[in-house]
Amino acid sequence: MSDDHDHEHHHHLRESESYYAARTKALESLFREKGMIGIDTVDRVIRFFEHEMGPFNGAKVVAKAWTDPAFKARLLADANKAIAELGLKDGIEGENLRVVENTSAAHNVVCCTLCSCWPWPLLGLPPYWFKDPVFRARIVREPRGVLADFGVSLPEDKRIDIWDSSAQVRYFVIPERPAGTEGWPEEKLAALVSTEAMQGLGLVSA
Amino acid sequence: MKVQHFLGGIENLGPVAVEKRVFVEPWEAQLFAVHTTMMGTGIWAWPDLRVLAEGMSPLDYFKYRYYIKWLGGMCHFLVAKNYISEKELEERTKHFLEHPDAPLPNSGDNAVTERVIEYFYTGANPYRDVAVDPLFKVGDKVRVKDMPPAVHTRLPGYLRNKVGVIDTVYKGAYLYADNVPTDGISTTQPVYLVKFKTRDLWSDIPDKGDVLYNDCFEVYLEAA
Repeated sequence: MSDDHDHEHHHHLRESESYYAARTKALESLFREKGMIGIDTVDRVIRFFEHEMGPFNGAKVVAKAWTDPAFKARLLADANKAIAELGLKDGIEGENLRVVENTSAAHNVVCCTLCSCWPWPLLGLPPYWFKDPVFRARIVREPRGVLADFGVSLPEDKRIDIWDSSAQVRYFVIPERPAGTEGWPEEKLAALVSTEAMQGLGLVSA
Repeated sequence: MKVQHFLGGIENLGPVAVEKRVFVEPWEAQLFAVHTTMMGTGIWAWPDLRVLAEGMSPLDYFKYRYYIKWLGGMCHFLVAKNYISEKELEERTKHFLEHPDAPLPNSGDNAVTERVIEYFYTGANPYRDVAVDPLFKVGDKVRVKDMPPAVHTRLPGYLRNKVGVIDTVYKGAYLYADNVPTDGISTTQPVYLVKFKTRDLWSDIPDKGDVLYNDCFEVYLEAA
């Protein structure tokens, strides 16, 4: 009995947030001692995804595409080249980007049923929902049901194009521009665009 | 077979947990930064992590949060490859469990930091500029092969034996990875964007005209 109790106690400890936090600290601490990481690496990486590689990049691209049809055409033809025009760099998980556009006829959704492929240079890191096995299982077979979980409903006759990324390409969606935003400056438009909308799991409203 | 290779299409799972945060606990951000350090310094790459995730018990795979799985995978890999020892990892974990506010060692190699940031902008493009003679052209009907089970695959299970149409023949060729056991994608080869009607994937769903696109390595395809 006492062995069982000890085992359960041990198991419980190993499944707590404090255990995960301690183990993560242990990893960084051993990396530091072995010269495998810098003292400032963790902070710098976290700041990098807060300020340099995040969904604010994608929102800037969407706002530009909404206001400049020639840019949008270049973006749809060669996304890596077009984002450079805005001073954005590509890189990890975005070496081969493809942009697709939502229209009145078709709505795009992006997923990765095998893992969590996501266009980092434009959106930063994937949120939890994208990595949820339930999302990944359901989105390809019942996209409308999944969209409903996100509070999104589409017109009955709208087609859904599903992009399941598993090789080299990372997909990005230009949502439909909301009505009533004519003449808005790009910065104001960009502020409307959510991460979810740029993978097709949200709509944009003004 | 591994459930992780066949997630797409599983029914009766209930609602999606719409958690929009990237990290839900502070340790996850720290762990992620250690992971990117491992990537940026060549200790490992995505395929190593994916092999471990696909080797998990499928019940645990559903049970544990994303970064909890990463933590297990990273520790396993670092010990197996002798970067750290099990003993020092256990001792150090115990130390931080007992002293959660204890400082981290005031040492390290700060040159690693810029190397990692540089890696974020360089990436690891699988593109290989080699002469290839693609087997298929745009408009060809192709059937996805029922590949033999493998430790690691990039073929979504629900596409096996299904017929689609080549939408795009990507220029050149791509190398997925040559350091992990795969079902044929450890050699440089063409990749195609293949278009499927979702009704051809699941005949019992309502016909809404929906389409599914997937990038398929050439080894996964045959003429239909």
